[in-house]
Amino acid sequence: MTQLILGQLINGVIVGTLYGIVAAGITLTFGITGIVNFALGAFMTLGAYVAWYLTDHAGLPFPAAVVLAVLATMAFGAVADQALFRHTRNNLINGLLVSIGLISVMEAGILMTWTATPKEMQFVLPGVLNAGGLVVPKMKGLVAVVLLAVVFATYAALTKTWVGRAAFAYAQNPEAARLMGVRTRLLQSGVFIYSTGLVGLGGALYASLYSIDAGFGGTYVLKGIEAAILAGIGSVGGALLGGILLGVAEAIGSIFLPAAYKDAYGLVALVLILLLRPAGIFGGSK
Amino acid sequence: MLNWQRTIARALGATGLALALAGTAAAQNVVKIGGLEAQTGPASIFGLMPSQGVRMAVDEINKAGGFEVAGKRYTLQLISPDTQGNPQQALVQVKKMLEEDKVQYIFGPYLTNVFNAVAPYVQQHNNKVLLMGGATGMHGALGKPNMDFVVKTMPWDTGAAGYGSMMVGLLKKRGVKKVAILMQNDAGGKAVVDIYTPLFKEQGIEVVTEFFEPGTKDFSSTLAKLAAAKPDYLFPGYTDTALYDIVRQASEVGLTKFFITRGSIGPGMKNNAMIDSYIAWVPKYFENAEKTNPKVSRFVENYKAYYKTAFPYDQAPQCATSCYDHVYMLVEAMKKAGTVSDVPKVKAALLSTRYQGLWNIRYDTTGEAILDFDVVEVQRGGKINVTHIDPQQ
Amino acid sequence: MRVLPWVAAAALLLLPAVVRSNFVLTMFVFTFILGIAAVSFNLIFGFTGQLSMFHAAAFGLSAYVTHIAMTRLGIPFWSGVACAVVFVLVLSCIIGTICFRYRLKEFYFAVVTLAFAEMARLTVLNWNSVTNGSLGIAINEKATLWVPGAGTIAMDNSTVWYYVGLAALAVTLLVCHRVLASWVGRCFGALRLNDELASTLGINVFRYKLLAFMIGNAFAAIAGALYAWYIGFIEPEYLSIPQSLALISMVLLGGSASLVGPVVGALVLTALPHLISLSAEARVMTYGAILIFTILLLPRGIWGTLEGLRRRVQGASATSVQTLVETPVQKPPEGAPPPARESLGQAAEVR
Repeated sequence: MTQLILGQLINGVIVGTLYGIVAAGITLTFGITGIVNFALGAFMTLGAYVAWYLTDHAGLPFPAAVVLAVLATMAFGAVADQALFRHTRNNLINGLLVSIGLISVMEAGILMTWTATPKEMQFVLPGVLNAGGLVVPKMKGLVAVVLLAVVFATYAALTKTWVGRAAFAYAQNPEAARLMGVRTRLLQSGVFIYSTGLVGLGGALYASLYSIDAGFGGTYVLKGIEAAILAGIGSVGGALLGGILLGVAEAIGSIFLPAAYKDAYGLVALVLILLLRPAGIFGGSK
Repeated sequence: MLNWQRTIARALGATGLALALAGTAAAQNVVKIGGLEAQTGPASIFGLMPSQGVRMAVDEINKAGGFEVAGKRYTLQLISPDTQGNPQQALVQVKKMLEEDKVQYIFGPYLTNVFNAVAPYVQQHNNKVLLMGGATGMHGALGKPNMDFVVKTMPWDTGAAGYGSMMVGLLKKRGVKKVAILMQNDAGGKAVVDIYTPLFKEQGIEVVTEFFEPGTKDFSSTLAKLAAAKPDYLFPGYTDTALYDIVRQASEVGLTKFFITRGSIGPGMKNNAMIDSYIAWVPKYFENAEKTNPKVSRFVENYKAYYKTAFPYDQAPQCATSCYDHVYMLVEAMKKAGTVSDVPKVKAALLSTRYQGLWNIRYDTTGEAILDFDVVEVQRGGKINVTHIDPQQ
Repeated sequence: MRVLPWVAAAALLLLPAVVRSNFVLTMFVFTFILGIAAVSFNLIFGFTGQLSMFHAAAFGLSAYVTHIAMTRLGIPFWSGVACAVVFVLVLSCIIGTICFRYRLKEFYFAVVTLAFAEMARLTVLNWNSVTNGSLGIAINEKATLWVPGAGTIAMDNSTVWYYVGLAALAVTLLVCHRVLASWVGRCFGALRLNDELASTLGINVFRYKLLAFMIGNAFAAIAGALYAWYIGFIEPEYLSIPQSLALISMVLLGGSASLVGPVVGALVLTALPHLISLSAEARVMTYGAILIFTILLLPRGIWGTLEGLRRRVQGASATSVQTLVETPVQKPPEGAPPPARESLGQAAEVR
């Protein structure tokens, strides 16, 4: 039993990093532009399909495919931002609804390009790590490490670089930031595009672990939103931790409670957090 | 009469005659058949191939001049809307088919949820229509009162000529002692477990069973449990969506032998470097069949010419159900029965016909198909062994 | 002279006598039924300003509850619908109380209602003994209607459904109109514009938000039962997010500032798939594109834009409910910081 729990714990952490990267994207976009980009799930799916296509059909080495997938997702994000979201900066509900419409468009586009047959990437890093009876596939471990590194790098960029601190200042007081010379329009677009890149990376790495279909991003974006709200909007590090918490809760919960309602546990936690501690677990106390 | 009045009178007369002729022609010489499959959308992996096969067959028959029943010449008219896998949409389409178009022979559905949605309505027209589909849910309806409209074109695992026991027998011959079943926790998965557990026990193979929630992507905990039981073969199911992930993750915990009765050989081929054996029931392995069976190679060529696209080998096995062969077989049955509109007579003729097309098809007394099939084994490295089995012998 | 509405009403009443095509009648039946759901959603969203993602859940749950009531209690259709409405009212009261007592705003309200809707859907999907899970329920119990003079007739052909649907929609519009024209309606409008300001004026924000939520969901329940019985099939997809989005799309496409707008939206979205035959993927893409297009370019929706044109041509007419609650959308200049976000009273921090 202990081995089962330990195994599930590790697995929950790894799956949690995938939730975490989506949560980081959500929280960055919401914190800076005020828009909740539901379409981040569709961007994740896009990143996955591009990475799969480049690795399996174009024969590129996986790392190159990942980089190109991230760039492709960011390019698409730039187009979406300039064409659509630029016009909804001041109306949050409209931005939300546009992002929902975008999901349909993107998912349908992916279905039309690549059909509904599930796709599986060839093995990237076959083999498992065996530690005292616990089996962890090597690729899973690698994915988790990469995602953790990227989120920490983002966090470092936010706190150490000028751009990061400008974003921080803008989130605190938009007027003042503008007066201080922060290029707000560029900042908003930049953050939006960066968050699509984050989830594109998550999607590309997801494709190396699991088979992909056109709708999987939708599940992840909901989990990402849950994790972001659980942790408190605005905290990137917190979003990652929230994701991991969610992953672990689901994994451990499935052992003791019916697995059919696995998705509901996160929802219940979400509702409770919003009611009892709206700022989130790591949110500030103002 | 004046000139212009004569012209009009002649025109009216001609129109009237034409209409009358067309009317009688339409009433006499056309047999309408319907299609009820998902041609687009996620469920199209089950419905596109059958709908394409039916269309091809209808066109071929019509181009050859139609067919003759009881001295009259008939052509076929196909009404095949796209259900998109949506039960509500299918219900509206079936209503139109039966009420407005007066269709009496429908090919489809393959999807059980579509069948469940349309069955109560079609039942109101029992004995006036035949619904010939491959839906798993149709099996339970066969032989039930007022369900004479049901004909199941996909064979069943158990029963007199069931392919299930033959497949299990193959495992027995390899000395398999223990099998782990991993199925979806839904009606389809539970049905498979209910069918196969007794089949395994009959042949002295021990069974361990685990269920998973549909939509699961990460099977690590369940597979760990199963691996601890040290089975010889893993029997996962029942859709490719789950099989890809199960096969990959199972190979990572040391389960490298797989037994598949519903699903394609895709997961085995994709992961062939990490597995030892992947045995799958495939209605027909077209890559081999087109080399040995001239009817199959002709079908492949015709398909390519008709649809102007490459032949979809991965979808082709789906043509075992409500597809090309079945249109021809229906025409045969109508000829044998001597009628195109007396549905019970046509059904009786259909059930007593043996058809040799792409497949060797006959029906059992309840109206369920018995087909020949292939057992495809993918081995480590991608080597493929194909065994053709014909229950008709 | 407002002759047009009377002409339109007469046309609608006489339509089945003129149109023989079952197909056209079916289209109208769906328009009426989904119109009820869309209009009631607009009561919550367009008039009270709350984006609820729970509407499809009310729609779908009602179908299941009606079926359970009819099969377990043996009662006729309309009594079953009444049970479903009561069930949905109670459920909305609970959920609404949770949301509004804790003063959830905008995005958070949407997310919480979404969470509840998903929980409802998961329950329906997995409670196989009661709901038959993902396979859905084929409805065998007929809906019946008591008509004075003809007795109890079965609702089994499109003409009967047409008039039932039309009547139900008319009742919905009438009730909503009465509500909106009353003091309650003005409170809704105040809440939509600025609920904090409204509370300083003495309006009980919690009570009126809850009222709008409950009334809206109650009509969604009626629509859900009618929809399921017309189609003859109930499945968990009725409670899904795409169903909610379809309702939102109808409202936005038709126009959220008027009562009739959502019905126009329902008509367009119902008729569209049958006028243009698209593959499943293309249809989904079209819906998404329509949603985006409407939000960005036609913020007032089809009906709203038409009304605007008519008013400009004719000059301002007498006060109507529409003008009471309609406010032009002000768009601040680009690049300006977004308005203070209602993150529950706390500024968002990026750490």
